[in-house]
Amino acid sequence: MTQVSEAAEVTPTEVEKEPKSRGNLLRAMEIDFRVFGMVLALAVILIGFGIKTNGRFLEPVNMVNLAVQSVSISIIATGMTLIIVSRNIDLSVGSVVGVVSMVYAQLMHTWLPGWIGFDHPLMWVIALAVGIALGAAIGGFQGFIIAYIGVPSFIVTLGGLLAFRGATWVVTRGVTISPVDPTFKLLGGGPEGSIGGTASWIVGVFVCIAIVLFLVMNRRQRRRFGFPVRPMWAETVVGVVSCGVVLGLIWLFNAYKWPEALAQRHAEETGTTIPPGGLPAGVPWPVMLLIGVTIVMTFVATRRRFGRYVYSIGGNPEATELAGINTKWTIMKTFILIGVLCAISAAVATARLDGATLDLGEGYELYVIAAAVIGGTSFAGGIGTIPGAVLGALVMSSLAYGLSFIGLSSPIQDIVAGIVLIIAVGFDTINRRRKV
Amino acid sequence: MRRRLWVFLALSAVLLAACGDDGGGGGGGDGGATGGEGLIVGISWNNYAQPRWAKADGPAIIEAVEAAGGSVIETDANDSSEQQLADVDSLIAQGADALIILAKDAAAILPAVQKATEAGIPVIGYDRLIEDTNAFYITFNNEQVGTIMAEEVTAVVPEGNYAIVKGHSADPNADFLRGGMQPALDAHPGITIVCEDYNDDWATENARAMMDACLAANNNEIDAVISENDSMATGVVAALDAVGLAGTVPVTGQDGDDPALNRVALGTQLVSVWKDAFALGQTAGEVAVQLAEGVALADVTAPDDLQDHVAPEAGVDAQLFTTPGGLDVYSIVLKPTPITLDNINLVVDLGWVTQDIVCAGVSAGTVEICG
Repeated sequence: MTQVSEAAEVTPTEVEKEPKSRGNLLRAMEIDFRVFGMVLALAVILIGFGIKTNGRFLEPVNMVNLAVQSVSISIIATGMTLIIVSRNIDLSVGSVVGVVSMVYAQLMHTWLPGWIGFDHPLMWVIALAVGIALGAAIGGFQGFIIAYIGVPSFIVTLGGLLAFRGATWVVTRGVTISPVDPTFKLLGGGPEGSIGGTASWIVGVFVCIAIVLFLVMNRRQRRRFGFPVRPMWAETVVGVVSCGVVLGLIWLFNAYKWPEALAQRHAEETGTTIPPGGLPAGVPWPVMLLIGVTIVMTFVATRRRFGRYVYSIGGNPEATELAGINTKWTIMKTFILIGVLCAISAAVATARLDGATLDLGEGYELYVIAAAVIGGTSFAGGIGTIPGAVLGALVMSSLAYGLSFIGLSSPIQDIVAGIVLIIAVGFDTINRRRKV
Repeated sequence: MRRRLWVFLALSAVLLAACGDDGGGGGGGDGGATGGEGLIVGISWNNYAQPRWAKADGPAIIEAVEAAGGSVIETDANDSSEQQLADVDSLIAQGADALIILAKDAAAILPAVQKATEAGIPVIGYDRLIEDTNAFYITFNNEQVGTIMAEEVTAVVPEGNYAIVKGHSADPNADFLRGGMQPALDAHPGITIVCEDYNDDWATENARAMMDACLAANNNEIDAVISENDSMATGVVAALDAVGLAGTVPVTGQDGDDPALNRVALGTQLVSVWKDAFALGQTAGEVAVQLAEGVALADVTAPDDLQDHVAPEAGVDAQLFTTPGGLDVYSIVLKPTPITLDNINLVVDLGWVTQDIVCAGVSAGTVEICG
């Protein structure tokens, strides 16, 4: 046992003496080259806009805004990755978001108040539960037709795109519904919808401990099974850098202070005083939600049987089926999952607008698919990561926010977004071809 | 794919509607006694999914036409210019004596208008301009909407940082509205416009995103927001609310949407410029009957019982309206109505919205109509 693992520990350093050393470093730390490229692209975009606006773009408030703006797309993109990996597609996500958000708004604005009164403390919980159940049901319904009846997902979800947009209209006959429950509204972020400065630091420290524990356990387990492990220095670098990034982000979220007027009102209401440097807002709830979803989805995709089956189906559907895996049920589950994610995303979008409009979610399918693809998901199936998709969504929302921040008009923004999509996938294609 | 499906659906709908009318038309004819008896007015909607048309315009037109003893047939183009051409064909084929067209596109509809003119059927461009001298134009004064917005806001905030949230860039209304604002803004040299942009599809989400960026870029120092409609105002107010400015920064809108009127009562929106669609529908219905009876375009008159808040400033007679394309078309242009805290009872009294919608969440004693 020990011999094997030691041999494995030695192999990387031996093999990689010949090729370029930069690739070596990344490979030793087991960092995905694609993810690394995306982080680099994101940094270039942020710094680029920073230079263009004399640093004003890099102020905490903008970083917080663009993080929150990417949440709705990111959440669905994590599910879309699994869908595309299994060689399917879901075009109905935008319409599902529309219908679920309309149901949220109707529940909290019209249906529930008649039953339980306006300011019921559990209103938001009930609404959320109903919405998520509805999302799962819609996803399950489409998934059943795709997996068991065998209608291509493109067709089924194209039908869904039309039908659920129509259903959105039917729920309210097209009227905008606003406002929603004040507690529910916290899901939309803003200073009031953030967890606060102290809680943010606690979360940050927790995540750091979790990262270290994960690295230690992972290393131990690999040893046990005789798998190759990273050299110790790489392990340390990964741990320190990850912790640094997490704490840096927490610092950034805390550097965003409550606007003065709001802070004063908050202080009066709660009987507290504002600290001299201003009241730190901390991590917004929607971002917490996204972090949670990303961790759970990554875990499901890489550590659970279901996730591995999905990748296996994407790699070779026939072989997977012949191996005795219930591929139909697996496919149906991916659609149930994306339905639930659409419902979560709809909650954030509804909370952000403090209401639901007929066109909410329109065009999401394109942004979500673009985020997954920019994040390295391949339409050929079998390839794609969840953190990649989230990064892809962040890249797009940074671009959109930045272009709007420097005052470029919206048609020009669309042109840039389109070009970036093609360039990103183009680079990826070239990169992949070179590897083969 | 989508288009073909809609064509199919629309055709089936037209067939069904035609069958239904045979039965209903005969019954209605017996009771009618006025000159418009037996007339058929065809309406081609651009996008009936928007709540306004089904709530106010449609019923008002039908009421006016049926009061004169006629009947109405309707089609919906579902936001497609192509579909609308097919719709108008089918209305002509069904024997319409006058057409009311809410055009998806001012230019793309022209072949259909030409066909109707050749068949001797008068056409009314309803709410949206048709660039053809054979079409009668019935609308609200769109430029005045912008003027009213700017006047209402500048009266409250005569100087400071303004944000202007414009509608869809391809919709000429967005620029009409913006043009109407300019004189009032020019009259106040202390005003600086710090943000101004179009928003695709007049979407609430886009307005929220634009406002977030605008607030961030100006350290929340925004003193007033002119939003070109109510659904974008929803996004604007949500963004202001997130930084604690809702209720202190005046916001405009237009359309008299339910949530917007509620915000006016709550004090988070200053004004919603309302176009009384009942009055517009009534006008179109009565004009359609006049035209179907053979009254010349120049001799058409508006209903004489229009209320003060909409009555055309130019009087009831048809006026010449110069289009952006340089044509002179006969028109009746109604007056838009600013709805503020002072006159919010008007929308409730006229049945546009119910009191409980306007008053939801309003604390007692702050607004007269809410008790």
